[in-house]
Amino acid sequence: MDSQLLNPTSLKSRFTARFLRALTKINAPNPISSSSPTPREIFQRYRRIKVAADKSMAYSVRSRTTWSRATLSRLRTRSRHRRLASFGPRSSVTTAAVLKKTSSHGKENEGGLGVQAGELRELVPGGEAMDLCNLLDETAHYIKCLTTQVQVMKTIANLYSLE
Amino acid sequence: MASENDDMGLEMSSITMLNKYSNTSESDPFFSSGWDPIVSQSESLGGSSMASHYHLVMENQGISGTSHVSQYQSSPSFVELVPKITGFDGGNLSQIPGPFSLPQCNQIANSNERGSKYSLRSLDEHRIPETLVGTSPNGKIRKRSPESDSPLRSCKNGDEEPGMDLSSEGCDGPREQAGKKPKTEQNSGANSRGKQAAKQDKDSSQSGEAPKENYIHVRARRGQATNSHSLAERLRREKISERMRLLQELVPGCNKITGKAVMLDEIINYVQSLQQQVEFLSMKLATVNPELNIDLDRILSKDILHPQSAAVLGFGPGTNPSHTFSPSTFTGTISGFPNTNPGFLPLPQTVLENEVQNLFQMGFYPGSTMDGFGLDGRLKPEM
Repeated sequence: MDSQLLNPTSLKSRFTARFLRALTKINAPNPISSSSPTPREIFQRYRRIKVAADKSMAYSVRSRTTWSRATLSRLRTRSRHRRLASFGPRSSVTTAAVLKKTSSHGKENEGGLGVQAGELRELVPGGEAMDLCNLLDETAHYIKCLTTQVQVMKTIANLYSLE
Repeated sequence: MASENDDMGLEMSSITMLNKYSNTSESDPFFSSGWDPIVSQSESLGGSSMASHYHLVMENQGISGTSHVSQYQSSPSFVELVPKITGFDGGNLSQIPGPFSLPQCNQIANSNERGSKYSLRSLDEHRIPETLVGTSPNGKIRKRSPESDSPLRSCKNGDEEPGMDLSSEGCDGPREQAGKKPKTEQNSGANSRGKQAAKQDKDSSQSGEAPKENYIHVRARRGQATNSHSLAERLRREKISERMRLLQELVPGCNKITGKAVMLDEIINYVQSLQQQVEFLSMKLATVNPELNIDLDRILSKDILHPQSAAVLGFGPGTNPSHTFSPSTFTGTISGFPNTNPGFLPLPQTVLENEVQNLFQMGFYPGSTMDGFGLDGRLKPEM
């Protein structure tokens, strides 16, 4: 990274803008430099920030990749879970059933890499229903986005700790 | 279609190369005569560069594969070119009888063999010097595809579908199937033939099970079963290895790793560490935030313009020692975490360590209330 202006439509800038907006929204309700926040508050904020980070990244990617779509649908389902507790088990069961149907077809030709492929599927969102070839594609894009995310968040954290 | 043009263009280039390099032998008149219809057709279609549709391919994948393009530029060996670009099989060379036998080229070719897949026979030697000569002056395969590329491509007729064995046919074509070639040319369909004389032309539906990728051309080895399943298998395997190579460049420190299983393990570890870093950073942001006024524009400009300088300035006296905290347990985990994979950190190691110390001083948590986070060992991914 050098000091030149980044491409304003690059993944990094899109993610940064979104994430910062979300951060300000999360921090807004709190009175600034109030009494020490309880661990519970911090935990809630942590969760919200994490969700905001994942959501911002997924939105920055739009629906171009399977993992972004899976992340977005997962986040939406989870928010629905929280509001309508009764619907939670049902939707999760449905998604699992759907995924099971599709996942069995594409995973035939993994060679001797079945164990690792399964682990990778767990890590990459939406990876359950992909064959190894597409899974590797998704992993590459996912890694690229994750590194961007980490870089931006690190810089933001540093900026905050500066002031 | 663009891919068809590409194929024809490659063929034209390879044919010119053949004509350039082939001297008198009993097969050469067959060559020249046999390739003429192809030459004429390829000339009519023109040759668009391989580079164009490779860039298309890479864009379609959404991954910038230019790094691996540049990786291939400097490899003059024929056998290495083959699987990486189009999945050509070097074994097809054996079908061209010829007078050329350069022992050095044979050695080079043999040393570049990948397992048993691309076993070159002694007859292949005459083809290798053509390839080596052709490729070594021009480092970039893709750009010079219209001019003179691997003569192997000459064997490949203008087929879009993968899994073709037209090369073997084409090379032997003059002798047996000179009449068939124009027909197969115009077919633009997939014909997979292991032995030339044995089979008739088939339709492209033969290898329709291969995905709709018109830029990878796979050839069956001589004597190898060319039924649809094995060809599709080979295609898949090559695609997977291609993607593994891409990933190898994305994941730092994986240059020396050979073997898919180890590579996958590394990838898994890297993804896990990245996800943990995201959680760690979001936790950090959760604690840091309430003390700050946030100026969005200023932060954005600082962040984007000078991320490195901001990071360097990030440590130091800017702490708020409002809490006391015994960092013993935390130190072990957190400082262990960034240090395990030094290659993975995008920023300099010292910056992160300083951030960590910063975090401690800010009073991350009193140790007793950390149970909810599971921070004794590591950050729990899902809460």
